[in-house]
Amino acid sequence: MKRVLIIDDASTIRLYKRCILEKHGYLVEEAVNGMEGLEKALESHFDLYIVDINMPKLDGYGFLQRIRAEDIDQPPAMMVSTESAAQDKEIAYQSGANLYLVKPAKPAELLTFVRLLMGDHHS
Amino acid sequence: MALLQKSGQPRPAPDDPTGRILDVEALERCLHDPSADIRRRAAADLASCQQATQWLLTQLQQETIPSVRQVIITSLTRINTTEAVQGLATCLRAEDARLRNDAIEAMKQMPDAMAPVIEELLQDQDPDIRIFAVNILESLCHEQVENWLLDVMDNDASINVVCAALDIIGEVGTEIALPVLERTARRFNDAYVGFACDLAIRRIADSRPAS
Amino acid sequence: MTAIISQDDFLVFREYFYRKTGIRFESSKRYFVDKRLIDRITANDCASFREYFTRLRFQANGEELQRLTNLLTVNETYFMREEYQFDCLTSHILPELSEHLPTDKIINIWCIPSSSGEEPYSIAMQLLENWPMLRNRDVRLLASDINTRMLDMAEEGLYSERSIRNVPPTWRARYFSRVGDMYQICDELRACVEFSHVNLANPVEVRRQHAIDVVFCRNLLIYFDDLSRKEAAESLYDVMSPGGFICLGHSESMGRISPLFTVRKFPEAIVYQKPWEES
Repeated sequence: MKRVLIIDDASTIRLYKRCILEKHGYLVEEAVNGMEGLEKALESHFDLYIVDINMPKLDGYGFLQRIRAEDIDQPPAMMVSTESAAQDKEIAYQSGANLYLVKPAKPAELLTFVRLLMGDHHS
Repeated sequence: MALLQKSGQPRPAPDDPTGRILDVEALERCLHDPSADIRRRAAADLASCQQATQWLLTQLQQETIPSVRQVIITSLTRINTTEAVQGLATCLRAEDARLRNDAIEAMKQMPDAMAPVIEELLQDQDPDIRIFAVNILESLCHEQVENWLLDVMDNDASINVVCAALDIIGEVGTEIALPVLERTARRFNDAYVGFACDLAIRRIADSRPAS
Repeated sequence: MTAIISQDDFLVFREYFYRKTGIRFESSKRYFVDKRLIDRITANDCASFREYFTRLRFQANGEELQRLTNLLTVNETYFMREEYQFDCLTSHILPELSEHLPTDKIINIWCIPSSSGEEPYSIAMQLLENWPMLRNRDVRLLASDINTRMLDMAEEGLYSERSIRNVPPTWRARYFSRVGDMYQICDELRACVEFSHVNLANPVEVRRQHAIDVVFCRNLLIYFDDLSRKEAAESLYDVMSPGGFICLGHSESMGRISPLFTVRKFPEAIVYQKPWEES
């Protein structure tokens, strides 16, 4: 089973994404900020990161910049934000995101992009 | 070369002006020292000193070294006055996202001092500031928290501000939230809002005492 | 007559002890705290909690506070606990530091809390047995605790069978001698750990240390509240050398405490590092 790491400080959002992903056969792990995300991402392998931007301790950009500098298998990363500003998108891509999604995303939309990023077409 | 034998004597420390300083004015001067180590120590030592609030806030605005900034914010959290909160609230409009996030985190730990400014923040024109304000409510132990959240759910035009409120109402909500949750789910007709409303309704129902 | 600790007394004491030590007792610890308070009230011939509390607060030399602290901060540990971190120390942390630091620079390792000495002595054995580069490098072992009784026990170095159960037999033979039911750690090791009294919640006391290259701060911060934890991490950061490492207990995460340190992954463990330079 593929493993997804959800990094978000909002517990309901983590639960929401967890429900959608688990229903479709993914294993989900959670972290409450970028620092904890970094610890978990370094501890074991994931097939996808779903990362919020604004978080305490270490934000989403910081998480991606640091994890992309590590010598590990690099999974794709989806950045999720309330901002649709072009500038934020630019920073996200520069930090190492593969996709920038404006929230709140519909379940079908989220799932489509998750599958797309992991190369799953029929899970 | 080996494990060193203990000497029983204290190791001579490098010269450190803050180590000798007891009066607050001298610490204030250290707060602008060219050395980041000295600024950081001065900021830590001023945590026990309410009159240092403005000095710390002023230095926070110009400080460029992250670790010094962290310590300044920690000391302001320890000082925990409305004056400190008002200063941190201005950081919510800072360009620097890290400073914004650090300020929110600090303010979450200052519930009593926060109460007088929270209503104003919840009415701010900028939805981002309102999201920050709602985030702060999460750890505020104040009797008005639920009412403030319900007010946001009923009246805020921004779906993202309402989502932030829903995230917290699931944890702190009581029966009076139930009709508001139903209205909110209808008002937005969005998958995530629906999910969060259902979840909160279920949690509130579960915590209701059995009759 | 036995004194009675009311709920208000408990809350007042809890707040006071928290300010002094950073340690906050949950209500579930009420029995543990009450029992020790009552013991000390009786020992001091006080008629009530109030009378005792006044003495505790205003005693100039702080002797009673230290005694009570000794009773309330007992941290049970044993040799080679969470041993994977010691392996990480000799396989990766020290080699990496040695590479960066001038050859004549002493590497300072600090255990806080030291408890009754099991951890610093375990590290000493680990270095002597598993780090051949010790031949080319001086290492200073420092260890501190808030509890003076624990420090006395650490200096004495007498341990039970239970405490040394994870020590390999060859190490036992080399570093311990049997004294009745107990095991005495050898003089060679006792001579190379420098114990001192430090309250991690007091930055001025923490600053008695400096230029620390590796900190072991395991299973203490879990007893602190969020803000005290953050302050403690900042105090440690302050006395560490650039590039220095900090090892926490396995259930503790710096990610929830402070962003000052970088996360480092080694095969044996995740540890935290003070950046070589700050931008």
